[in-house]
Formats: sequence, C-alpha cells, structure tokens
Amino acid sequence: MKKLKLIAAFAGIGLFLFISCKRNFLDLQPKDQVSSDITWTDGALSQAFIYGTYAYLGYGGFEEQALAAYTDEAMFTHAGRNINTFTQGSETASNLAWISGTYGWKQMYEAIRRANIAIENLPNATFADQVLRDRLLGEAYFLRAYYYHQLIRFYGGVPIVDKTFALNVDYSIARNTWEECVNFIVGDLDKAAQLLDGKAITAGRASKIAAMALKARVLLYAASDLHDGPTAKANSSVLSGYANLNLLAYASGDQQTRWQAAKAAAKAVLDAAQGYKLNLSAPVSADEGKDNYISIAMGGKSGAPGLDAAAAVELIFQRTHTALYTEEDNWPLGGIHYGINNGPNGYHNWAGNTPIQQLVDDYEMMDGTKFDWNNATHALDPYAGRDPRFYATILYDGATWKPRPSDVAAVDPVNQVQTGYYDNGSGGFLNGIDTRESPIENWNGSRTHYYTRKFIDPNPALPDNQSNAQVVPWPFIRYTEMVLNYVEACIETGDEAEARTWLNKIRFRAGMPAVTDAGQALVDRYRNERRIELSYEEHRYHDVRRWMIPAQTVGRGIKEINVVAKLKPGKTALVPYRHDKTVYNYTYTVEDNTENETRTWNDKMYYRAISRDEINTNNKLVNNPGF
Amino acid sequence: MTKPICYGRYLTRYLASAIILLLCFGLTAHAQEKTVKGKVTDEQNNPLSGVSVVQKGTTNGTVTSDKGDFSITVPSSAILVFTSVGFTDQEVAVGTNTIISLQLKSLPQHLTDVVVVGYATQKKVTVTGAVTAVKGENLVKSPAVDLSNSLAGRLPGLVVIQQSGEPGYDGASISIRGTNTLGRNEPLIVIDGVPERDGGIGRLNPRDIESISVLKDASAAIYGSRAANGVILVTTKKGSTGKPKITYDFNRGWNQPARIPEMSNAFEYASIMNELPIYKTIPVAEWEAAWQAIKTTGTYDSPTPGVSTLNANYSPTAVQKYKDHSDPWGYPDTDWFGDAFKTWSPQDRHNLQLSGGSDNFRYFTSIGYVKQDAYYHKSATNYHQYNFRANLTAKVNSYITTTMGILARREQRRFPTESAGAIFRMLMRGRPTEPEVWPNGKPGPDIENGQNPYVITTNATGYNDNPTDFVQGNGTVEITNPWVKGLKLTLSAAVDKSTSVSETWQTPWMLYYWDRVTYEADGVTPKLVGAIRSNFTDPRLTKSYGSILNTNLTALLNYDRKIGTDHNIGLLVGVTKEKYTGTGFIAYRREYISPAVALFNVGGATQTATDPVNPPYRPYERTRLGYYGRAQYNFREKYLAEFVWRYDGSYIFPSEKRFGFFPGLLLGWNITNEDFFHVEGINYLKLRASYGQMGNDQVYYRNVLQEFAYLDLFRFGRYPINNSVVTTLYPGTVKNLDFTWEVANNYNIGLDATILNNKIDLTLEAFLNKRDQILIQRVGQTPQTTGFVDNLPPFNDGKVDNKGFEFSVAYNGKIGRDWIFRAGINGGYAKNKVVYMDEISGAPAYQRQEGKQINAYLVYKSAGVFLNQEDINKNTIDYSGVTSKLIPGDMKFEDVNGDGKITGDDQVRLDKNITPTFNYGATMEVRYKGFDLNILFQGAAGAAIRIQTESGDIGNFLKYSYDHRWSIDNPSSEHPRLASRGDTYFTGGNFGNNTYYLFSKNYLRLKNIELGYNVPESILNKVKLSGLRVFVNGLNVFTIDKMKVYDPEATVQSGVFYPQARVINAGLSLTF
Repeated sequence: MKKLKLIAAFAGIGLFLFISCKRNFLDLQPKDQVSSDITWTDGALSQAFIYGTYAYLGYGGFEEQALAAYTDEAMFTHAGRNINTFTQGSETASNLAWISGTYGWKQMYEAIRRANIAIENLPNATFADQVLRDRLLGEAYFLRAYYYHQLIRFYGGVPIVDKTFALNVDYSIARNTWEECVNFIVGDLDKAAQLLDGKAITAGRASKIAAMALKARVLLYAASDLHDGPTAKANSSVLSGYANLNLLAYASGDQQTRWQAAKAAAKAVLDAAQGYKLNLSAPVSADEGKDNYISIAMGGKSGAPGLDAAAAVELIFQRTHTALYTEEDNWPLGGIHYGINNGPNGYHNWAGNTPIQQLVDDYEMMDGTKFDWNNATHALDPYAGRDPRFYATILYDGATWKPRPSDVAAVDPVNQVQTGYYDNGSGGFLNGIDTRESPIENWNGSRTHYYTRKFIDPNPALPDNQSNAQVVPWPFIRYTEMVLNYVEACIETGDEAEARTWLNKIRFRAGMPAVTDAGQALVDRYRNERRIELSYEEHRYHDVRRWMIPAQTVGRGIKEINVVAKLKPGKTALVPYRHDKTVYNYTYTVEDNTENETRTWNDKMYYRAISRDEINTNNKLVNNPGF
Repeated sequence: MTKPICYGRYLTRYLASAIILLLCFGLTAHAQEKTVKGKVTDEQNNPLSGVSVVQKGTTNGTVTSDKGDFSITVPSSAILVFTSVGFTDQEVAVGTNTIISLQLKSLPQHLTDVVVVGYATQKKVTVTGAVTAVKGENLVKSPAVDLSNSLAGRLPGLVVIQQSGEPGYDGASISIRGTNTLGRNEPLIVIDGVPERDGGIGRLNPRDIESISVLKDASAAIYGSRAANGVILVTTKKGSTGKPKITYDFNRGWNQPARIPEMSNAFEYASIMNELPIYKTIPVAEWEAAWQAIKTTGTYDSPTPGVSTLNANYSPTAVQKYKDHSDPWGYPDTDWFGDAFKTWSPQDRHNLQLSGGSDNFRYFTSIGYVKQDAYYHKSATNYHQYNFRANLTAKVNSYITTTMGILARREQRRFPTESAGAIFRMLMRGRPTEPEVWPNGKPGPDIENGQNPYVITTNATGYNDNPTDFVQGNGTVEITNPWVKGLKLTLSAAVDKSTSVSETWQTPWMLYYWDRVTYEADGVTPKLVGAIRSNFTDPRLTKSYGSILNTNLTALLNYDRKIGTDHNIGLLVGVTKEKYTGTGFIAYRREYISPAVALFNVGGATQTATDPVNPPYRPYERTRLGYYGRAQYNFREKYLAEFVWRYDGSYIFPSEKRFGFFPGLLLGWNITNEDFFHVEGINYLKLRASYGQMGNDQVYYRNVLQEFAYLDLFRFGRYPINNSVVTTLYPGTVKNLDFTWEVANNYNIGLDATILNNKIDLTLEAFLNKRDQILIQRVGQTPQTTGFVDNLPPFNDGKVDNKGFEFSVAYNGKIGRDWIFRAGINGGYAKNKVVYMDEISGAPAYQRQEGKQINAYLVYKSAGVFLNQEDINKNTIDYSGVTSKLIPGDMKFEDVNGDGKITGDDQVRLDKNITPTFNYGATMEVRYKGFDLNILFQGAAGAAIRIQTESGDIGNFLKYSYDHRWSIDNPSSEHPRLASRGDTYFTGGNFGNNTYYLFSKNYLRLKNIELGYNVPESILNKVKLSGLRVFVNGLNVFTIDKMKVYDPEATVQSGVFYPQARVINAGLSLTF
C-alpha cells in the first residue's frame, strides 16, 4: 500500500502543479480600452471624452453628398445614392432617402448620449483643474444643444433625452413640442456661455461666442414663419391637417416677440465679436471683393497667393482639418478631399455637388441689377460683369483654374475649365475635357456644366487627388451669418434702415453696391443676398423652409447650361483648344436636366421622416406630417 | 464585489480522490516463468509486425518485429493474447509450448477503422456519435495549396466555400451542418489535441496529415464551450516502427482562373452606351427614330421642343472601327482580364519526409516548400511557404511514454500595394474601348486614381511583403500506472508562437497617355506622354509587427478496462487551461528621396503611426479553463453508451456567469451483434442516437469580438481639433452583468450499415440543432433615442433551429484479379430557421426574418418588364413612390400587399440566402495493376447571389447583360433596360434590391481528379528504390452551373474578387 500512496501522491501533485487554479485566471482587463471610472479622475482623459463628443460633427458640411444637393444650389452627379428619393418627394418611413450622419436621428442621439454622460459625470469629476472642468462641462452643454438643434432643424420637435438611459428600462419617450425643444436648447446654451466665459478659445472647440451665436440661430429659426403655428397652417394644407402641429411650431405666443428675441441674440454676438472687413463704407474693387470672399471661404488655411489669413476671424465655430489626419483618407472621403469630391473630372475629380443654373442666375450684375436671359447682352456673355462672389464660387466654361494634372496638361496648357463643346473645324466637335463626354473619367463629369469652387483650395501647389490635402475648415457658424440673422430680424421687426446698413457692409466687402430697397423688395433682396453669401454652407435647405418658399425654390427642376463654340468665319480651330472669343462664337442654352432627378415639392418635405423601425421600437413617437 | 468561486480547486480535489479510488482496483502477483517464441502472419502468410502479444490479465507484453517474430517470458499457466489493428483478437494458452506461431484473421474493414474523437480514438464499431473522417492520403490527391479546399465534397455535413483564390488568401470557409447561430458559426478546429491552434488548418502540409475527423453532434460536447458549431480534429502523422523511410514528392502545377466573368467587347459596349442616352432624354415615341439616327449618322435632332440634340457617345465610324479592329491605337477592343493575366501561372510543391523508428523511439519528420504565383502578368502577388514538422515518440520505460510535436512554418505573402479589391474592381470596370496597354507595350492610361490593372498588379507600385512565422510545439508525457491496469495519466503542454512582419513600400508609378492628335516625328506613331499617376509622389514605407503567443496546459486521466468478457468501460477526466495573447505595432515613414531605397531609418521627416488606435494587430489577452470527461460503457460491443461533459469557463462572461456545464449522451446498438439478428445481405447494422448541449462564446457584432461587455469601458478614437489629431474617448458597449453561454441543443440519430457481402457501406444521419441563448443585441426593443443601439451588450435571447440530414454510401468492388473499383456518394442538407432574434416589430409578416433562414434576402419581387408604351398604359399600379415616369424596359414589381402602390411594404423575405443548403460529393476510384484513377465531383445547391456590377459610363457591362437586355431593336418583357451606374430605379437605390438580379448558385464541379501510376517493384529493385509514383491531377477542372457569370462559389455581388483557381498538376513521389 506504500506504493499506492506514492502513486496517488504523484498523480495528485502532478495535477495540482499543472493546473493549479489561479483564482483570477479568467479575470482579465482589456488592453485597448480604459475604464469609465478612471476617466473622470483624470483631466486629460475627461478632455479626450469631450473630444470624442465632437466627433459627431463629422466632416461638417464637407461630405461627398452635400446638403446643397437637396436645395436649389446644386445637383448631385452620381445616381443611386437615394438623393432623388428625397428631391422627388418619394421618401417614406420605410424608404428613407439619403441622410447624413451629421444630422441623422440615430447619430444625433448617440452624440447626445455622449454629452449626457459628460454632463452627468463632470460635476463629480475628481481631477484638480477646476477651470478645465468648467470648460469641458460648458462644451458638453454646447454640444448637446448643437446636436438637438440639428435634430429640430430636420425633424421638428424631438424627444428631449437629458440623461443617459439605463439598460432594459422602458425606453419609450414622446416627442417634445417645438417650444420645449427651443427652450431646452437655449437653456443649454446659456449654461454653456456661462461656463465658457473667460476660457481659452481654440479652433474647433466651442466658446462662449459660439454658444451665443448658436442661440441666435435657434431663436431666428424659432421666430420664422414655419414655426409660427397660425402662419404655418395658413401656408400649408399638409401642416394645417397635422394633428400634432405643436411638435413643429409654436401653437401660441407672439411671433413679433420671438423676432425681438432673435434680433437681440444676434446683436449680442455682433457686439461681442467681430467680422472680417465689415467696417467698409463703400464697395471694394471687384478683384478685392473676390479675394475677400475666397479668403473667408478658406478660413485662413490656404497657401494660395493673394489671400488673407485674417479672414479666419469670421469663424465662430468650425471643423478644423489636418492633412495628416489619416482617418479622413478613408471612405467616404471628407473635408481634406473636398476638391476631389467636387472638382472637375479633367482634374481627376468627381464633380459631386455641381451648381445648377438657377444658382448661377441669382448672382447679380456688378451694378446690383438682376441677371436676365432676356437681356441680349447678358445672354451673349452670361459670365461677364457678375457679382465677384460668382467667380469665387463657381467654375464655368472658360474659367481659369488650377494647373492641370500632368497627364492632362498637354490637352489644356492654359488651365481653363472646359465644360463646353467646341467646333473642331472639320465638321465635328471637341468635347470639353471637363464634360461627361470627356476622355478623362467621364462618369465624373458635371451634368450641369458647372463645378463649385467656393471651398476648394485654389493653391496651385495642392493638386487634388494627389496626396496633398487641403485643410480648409468647415464654417459651422460664421460672423456673417450672424449679420444676416440680425438683418432678417431687423426687417421682420420693421427696422429697415438698420437692416440695410448691415446688409451693405456685407455687399461692400464683396465689391457690390449698396442697396436702397424697402418693404418686400428689401425682403427679396435680403433673401437673395443670404442665398449668395452663404451658398454651399448648409443654410439654403433650412432658409427656404423657414420662409415657407420651397415650392418656388427647391421645387423647381434642375436647369443646366449647354455651351457650344462655333468657329468664327475664317478662323481655324485652336489645338490645343483654349477659350477665345476672337476665334469662337459661344452660345449658351439653358436646358432642363432630369437625368437623375425630376424634382418636385410636396409639403411633407418640410421635415424628414422618422423611420418606421424607430416608431415601432418607441410607440410614443408620432411621425411627421405626410409620413 | 463577490469573490469568484474557484471551481477548479474543488474539481482538482475530486480528481485526486478519483485517482485513489481507481487505484483500488486489483494488483497482480508473479510466478514461475519461461520464454516463448513465435511468428505471427496474416491469412496470406505475410509476416505481421507490430502485433501486440500480452500475457492475459497482466501488463507483461511485447510486439512482433518486422518479420513477425516475438519473444516473451511468461509462466506456463499464462494465456497469450494477440491483438493487432484490423485483425480478430486471438488467445492461446502457453501450456508446454515454447514456440507459438499463428495466423491472425483480418476483420472486415468497417470494424477495423479507428476514428479520432475528442481526446481519444475509438473503433468505428463502438462510435456512437455522428463522426465523419477523411484520411490524409485522400487529401494529397488535390493540388489545392490551401488544405481547406481539399475538404470540399469529402465529408458529408461539411460546408466548404472558397470565396477567393488569391495566393495567400485562398482558404475556404468551413462550417458544419450549415448555419446554426446568429453569431459566429465557425467550428472549433483542434490540431493534435490543441484547440484553436494558431494558424488554423489551411496552411498545414497535406502530406503531414494522418486523418481529419469531424464531430457533428453530441460527440463534440467534450469540447463543450466551443463545440456548438461542431469540431474538426486534425491528427498529424506519427512515425512507425521500421526501417527509415524517405519519401520525396515533387509537384509542378499550373493555375488559372476557373472562371473569369465574360465582359462585353468594344462594339457591344459602344452599342449599349449609344442606347442609354436615348432613354434618358428622348420621348418614347421617338426612340426608334432616334436609335436609327444614332446608328447611322451619330446625331438625332428631336422635333419636340425643349429636347436637345442627342450626339452618339460613339460615332458610327467609331463603332465600326471597334468592330473591325482596324485601328488598335485609336479604337482598341480591350480584353482587360486577358491583358492583365497570363494563361497559366506556376505553382510548385516539394516535400521530403523521413519516418521510422524502433520499439522505443519513433519519428516522423517532414520538410516542405510551396510556391504559388498569381494570375497576373508579371505578378507582384505570390505565396511561398516553408514548413517543417517533427513528431517524435519515445518510450522512456514500460510505463512512461513521451511525445513531442514541433512545427515551424513560414507563410510568406507578397502583394502589390494596391489590393486585389482595387485590381478586380478595375478589371471589371475597364471599358473595352480604352487601351489597357498600348500596342507598343507601354501601359495605357488609368481607369481612375492611377489604377491600371496592367501596372498595379506588378511591383511597379512597390510591394507589400507580409511574412508570418509560426513556431509551435506540443508535448505529452503519458504515465501508465504499473499497478492499476488501464490507468493512465497524460500531461501535455502546447505553445504556439507566431510573428508577422509586414512591410509596405509604396512608390509612385508612371502611366502613358496619348492625346489622340499628336504623333511622333514619323507622323504615324502616336506620341505617348508619361505621367506619374499614383495619388502620391514621395515613396513611403509602412512597417508593422504582430505577435501571438498561445499556451495550452492539459492533464488527462484515463481508465479503460474490460470487466469479465462482457463489460467494457472507459473513463476519462481532464482539465485544460488556455491563454491567448496578441500584440503588435505599426510605424510609417514617407518622403523617401528615391524609390530605390526602402530602408526604414532613412525616411523623411514625416513619420506617424497611420492608425495607432486601431492597429492591424490589436493587443489582447484571452483565457479559458475547462474540466471535462467521458464515461463509456459497452456490453459486448452490442449496447453502447457514452457520456461526455465539460465544465467550462471563459473570460468573455461576467464572473458570476462565467462557467457552464455541457453534457452529451450518446447511445448505440449494434443490431448485428444480437443473436436473433440474421438477415441475409446485412453484414453489419448499428443504430445510434445522441443528445448534447454545447456552448459558444464567440460573440461578434459587426465583425468585432464582444469582449469585456460586463465592464464600463471607454474606447479610444481620434478626431481633429485645432488642426491636429487628438486622442478621443467614447463609450463602448453598455455594461451587462447578465449574460452567459450560448447553448446548442443538438439531437442526432444515425445508422451505420454494411450490406451485400460487405460491398456497400452506408451511413445515414438526421439531426435537429436547437440553438438557444444566442447572444444578440436587443435591437427590436431599443429605439435610437437611447443613443446606444449600436452599443447594446449581448443578451442570451436568440433562438435558431437547424435541421437536416446526411448520407454517405460507398461501394467496394473487385472485378477479376486486377480491377479494383470503389465509388461513393455523400451529401448533407441543412436548413436553418430563425426562431427569435428580437426583430423590430411592425414590418409585415412576410418581411420578417423570424421563420426564415438567417440572412435571407429581403427584396422586391420583380415581375417582368414593361415591353412598350402600350404595356405601360395598361398598368394600373402606382409607381410614383418608385419613379417619376415609367418608360419601356422598366421593371415591374409585384404589388405584394395589394394596395395598388409599390412601396417599401412590397419587399418580401425570401427563404434563401447566400449559403447553400445542400452540399454533396461523389468519389470514384479505379485501380488496375499499377494504375489508379481518383475522381471527386462536388456540388452545392440552394443558395443565391445578387449580381450587380459597376457598369455604364463608369465601367463595362457583363456579356450576360448585353445579351439579356431590353433594347429598342429587341424589346423584352423579361429582361429590363440596362442602366449607367445604377441610374434606373430597378438597378440603384432601394428598389435595385429585387429578385431579377438574384442568380442561383447551384453547381456541380469536377473538383479533383488524379491519375497515377506506381512503377512495379521489379523495375524499382533494379534502381534501388522502394517506390516510385508518377501522377497528374487537377482541381476545379470543369463546372456545370446555372449562373455562368462568376464562379458559383463567389460571394461578392460586384464580381470584385480574385477568382477561384483551376489547377493542373503533375508530380512524382519517390520512396527510398
């Protein structure tokens, strides 16, 4: 039996040694994440969390499918992206059109949850830096307000979620009224402004001015016709037939009072900050006006000659970029590739959101008169003598642009945009290299024969679609918007002189003469000024809705231009081709374009649909009118 | 927090007690002894080596030598028991004999086969589970480089799908009995006893494989926690006693795509592109006239006001030139695949094996080398593999045996810097009217982004070198208790280490352009201008390093005994501790002064980690702890019972829910062993039944393993603030403390039979797998307003049923003396049904995923095509939610809910997905003298794939699309008009998802064929060789299918993938 014990011991010991159960063998910690508890004890980690809350700003408006393509600013070139689902009015709750992550229901509530986590935890955070804690909390309030403001602009009143949900509770929550949402957002912004008072100002982060400016924008929206219940009802049978109109508009209260509030909020921003070159008393030259406008669009981040970095002062809240930020190299391409997304195919760019003829037509002549196709002089040379901002915003046939890429340089040594069709002298036509009939990547050619240039860095050292990337910031809020908001509130409150004064400051900077209009003419002039000055900045979509004029604006179809150059008698075709009025007679024909979209307006398009799935998971939700 | 209970400690205590109990079984004594000698032969009087000769009731024994001789010292009273695999046991009383020679009778094959099961081997007659196996010798007949591809069609119930043929990534996906769960469906792969072995099955040298077993039912339950999806057991070869045997194999193969999508030619493409603008802008009534004008004059002037003049995309002259190939510079007719590919690409395999051994020491070693080239002309892509294996067995003394397995392998993958995705996207898109390469051999223009397949398939863009080195060792010490018969302790350890070093060197590249007007001085040669067309101009170098270290410690205790003549018992308990760790980093430099210098230390100033937050090698640590066992009993091999269990812990679960118990019960009845059973023609018949519960902890959402879902964690990200990248934090999964193992409840009944004088072997299985507690996210009850719909933690909510059957029938025949003929067919059918997945409510019943197969297609039902305007005029269904205007050639949809409108509600859930429900194979073997022919047909049915290519102005059309399209010349009420880049409602956007574009993936292919000749011994003896075999074989030789567009195994709707290979191979095998 001795042996037996020996063996038993041997085997037992062997087992124990081999597999002794370390109690914590299965208790591991992740190697690539950090616990939430630790985060709130550490200032840098807490700040990183707030940075993470900014992430839902995405690329700002520099997305491949820009909001401009949902308006009468632009059309989107590529089919099959559910753009037409929206512009043709065929969106339904079970067939949603394209939605950007910068305002989508799901993404905004994810962003709001991040802000809520910060707002719940920061007051109890244990790191020492009190100033940082207040700043971070202020940013959290600002961001929550910003994301709610995106929601209400697109969806109307939404459920206000002001704390984080626990798991497995009753998640159902009803939509708050428009008024409650506005008040909630304004409340957050007031807190943000207070907490951010005196704090450092950093590009890309919220500041006290940003909070004040966002408040001014929200109050402007709140004061607008669309959100005044009686006015909305009067103007739309779809809205008047909607049983829950208080989700979308004030059921009561005085619209004038709201205009006064909007006016005061805008003025507060104008007084607290300053704009770029808004102290002029007479128009600058056309060239300077163009440079001023480009400088503002570049936000101080272009290396192109002749631009003024000081124009960055306009930016109250911005999305900054870095050329090394490799995640922005990923699909879908963002701000650093704005040029690729929108430039001409003859530069190996992708056209994207090309201006439509209606936008081109709305640029005034240099003398402040309207452009008119029935005016023979205008029609013969439509791109001559226009508002300098036209040349800073739009690339048209014959416009000078950046140096061509090396494989195209031989075909166009003079770097002019070619969106026309040119007599080749032997009975046929040479297709412009930036058309959809071009030998260069024709599927990326513009369908309107225009390209946008406003936010593309004109720096010749930055060839788009090469590794060099532009770092132009996206202007979420800029000073001039505040000026325009103030002008609008002044007009609505009968203060027309003040309105004209500020409107003219903007026009002088652009090289345009002063306006003297009054009454409805002033309203129209203001609206056009806002359209031109803020084009491609994600305002038009909302403005035409606020003003309740979408049927006459975005409801119009898409018009494009057809440019044909015939050789003048006795002239021979230029090889390589270049734009030359002494050799060619150019004719410009406006045509309808229904290749991708047959645009229409239906009042349900005032608001986006809430998806069927969302309504089915939250039975307290009611959908927007028409869905 | 409560302390986690250490179950392990209790269990080890139980184990120790168990050992003591077992030791109480009888000990033996010694008596007067003498030496007995003899020779053992088979029925043909050939000497039998390795026959075990044991004194009955003792451990005293020996084995026979090469010549069948043995010698043993025993008392006269002893009874000698002779046992050998494949032969009937025989007992001889020693008595007065000093020489005992005898013949052993061979058993029918089905009774002799041994099958590897979990932690053991079993005789096939006593197997009670649904286990299917294949021998390594069958796998070497395939020239597939990745072993996973050789399994297709050979193992009923195994679903093997090869999705890509790219060298280095040409492995097949493998699943057992279809899809069983909403989560991860991969089976557990155990290699030489080590589960989840680093490197997997694919790159194993097929010549090292002894056998591969597949556990399909409760027999897998001994692997409890990871057995839910079935288990594949790979056993490598061990040495056998005898003279050293050296074998050298050489294979030279040639591969080419089994199928390249047939694209339209230049004339066809130009015709389509001339048609499409008519549909866009011209009134329907004028289509005929417009088309005639475009064809003849190239221009159409519409009489309708406001309609602009239409110019042909390709003039009549151009179309003619594309057709007659008269001007290859100006009007090429490019075959993009043809220009980028060579006809055949070589692949080589060398293998040297050495094996042998004595009674105390046996060895098996092999060295292998594989080289595989890609289809590309001047390919940058290739694969090299070097592998070494040594399996050693040493008998230290009568009671202690130790084994050791060592593997070293280098998998060296090389690619161009542009991915296969980019390359094949360009090949599919390349317009036949554009040159890929100029007639003088210079590369043509890019399609876009500098991508021209003729160039980006070569190392002109730099390279991506990605070698991974594996070093793996596993060893066991087996201690047989000398005093307790049948008791054995096995201690084993395995360490797998791999390192992966990737180097990507990106250099700018040049392409050549012709402006179509400029010529060289001679006036006829087009003047080409070179331009750098990469989207960067400075050479860049990215390096990354990843490393994996896995350890496995196991202790097993076996007790096997025969009690009396009737009762056989086998007991096993074991414990295993596993740890998996991974780490790595990535670094990046750019602005190199020249593409000639790829040295990491001489880059320019810009250097950054490209993505430090989500590196290609995410660091991790994972642990598992399992206790398991088996109890087996059989009564005269007639009534069989087996109980297997595992008690498993995984780091994936919260500490209170970490462990799970997984039992399996298996029963068998060998009816032919019953005295009453005498049925003519039935030689053997066994019925089996099993039920098991198995676990799965592989929770993946959006392809990310859900680890630490019970902790409140923030993840790291990045975002630009103030023009620089900052590190961000954001909330991860919402913490849940209440989730545990996903459980598979698997039922199986089976039948094994041998009939018609042992000529036909038959196995039938039927199964029902009820998976519950599937870890899913509660999306159906969570609105987006919570802000965490994408961060929901796992809950044990999901349920999936999967049922089906398998069969295999094999025929063994002989014709005359020289002809041997074997044939078999096998198949497996499995179809699953989602029982519960927390689907969002509110969708119509016919759209619900519940009740249908996992990932079943949700599509609009195509209902033909509007033939002409008249057809449209007759239409009464409202298409306003679909399109603003219907025109001829538009697709009709079925108004499923009958509301007169086509809306999102008219989508229906089909009961079909991309995975076949029926997989089958047929094998045939014919031998005649030295010749042998082996054939494997393999097929699948029941799957569908959506086909949608990037076509139009952006890229070429499939020939299928050209042939089957509505056109003005040839209107159709079946096939719709073509579209440019999805610009019709029925091609792009939500409505593009319709049944018209779903194609059947059913196919049957000659998967593998081999013809071999073994040179007769009479000739070999003269050259002092002991074996010489020459052979030719092939893979994917031909395919019969319905789709005829992509390879039917394809899973990519756009055709953007590296196609599966056809391989023709010749080789020889020399044995010294």
